[in-house]
Amino acid sequence: MYEFLEKNAMYIVLLISLIIWAGLFYFTFKVDRNLKKLEGEGKD
Amino acid sequence: MKTYLKIIIFISITIVLIGTTIVPIPFIPGLGDKARIIYLHVPMSWVAVLAFLISMINSVKYLKRKEIIYDIRAFSAAEIGFLFSILATVTGSLWAKFNWGSFWNWDPRQTSIFILLMIYGAYFSLRSAIENPEQKAKLSSVYSIIAFVTVPFFVFIMPRLVESLHPEDTIVNSQGRINMNPVMFSVFMFSLASFTLYFFWMLNIKIRIEKLKLKYSELKNN
Repeated sequence: MYEFLEKNAMYIVLLISLIIWAGLFYFTFKVDRNLKKLEGEGKD
Repeated sequence: MKTYLKIIIFISITIVLIGTTIVPIPFIPGLGDKARIIYLHVPMSWVAVLAFLISMINSVKYLKRKEIIYDIRAFSAAEIGFLFSILATVTGSLWAKFNWGSFWNWDPRQTSIFILLMIYGAYFSLRSAIENPEQKAKLSSVYSIIAFVTVPFFVFIMPRLVESLHPEDTIVNSQGRINMNPVMFSVFMFSLASFTLYFFWMLNIKIRIEKLKLKYSELKNN
């Protein structure tokens, strides 16, 4: 296991950073979408 | 912001992350793979400076036209700039831990970003201390302009005046020529563009949130 982690360290870093980025993007996207809804309600 | 732009942001930052970790880089003496931090650390600092510049421009506009939207834009940009300054500090500290042996060394670069964080921290304290919205906007606009005057000094001048361990001439050399491997330079420029786009999306969201807050507080008061 340790050997695997040592040999593929960069891929593990990539995987973790991609998971963080996907979460961050989803959060930003959701806030944007909810905001659009609120703006629509405000106009009504 | 259009949906296709959001998709472009997602794909481009994903490519940046892949480029940061997997794309091979040439051996750089004393840095090795740690040089990869440049793909994230420099764009964070760039976005922070850009955000503070936008904040200053909108503060000038507010003082000229006295329209609250400019104050909202100035405040929103400063807040995101502050966030990116923290991210630049964190990425820099992580790099320092592995290259210099400790997270914080009071190197001129670290000291200057620390002072910059204090200056913009005071901007938010000032805003929260004033109740009257007009007075708040006016005073914080003046403060934002003065604060931005210090940005070029603390980011570009001061760290070069004092001896520092921070790597210099990594992107452009003293003759103004590109001093970076072409592959690294491409990934770096792509990263700068991607994070700038993401910043504008964040700024757009933040401004809309502040506008909604203002609208609801006006409705509540009436």
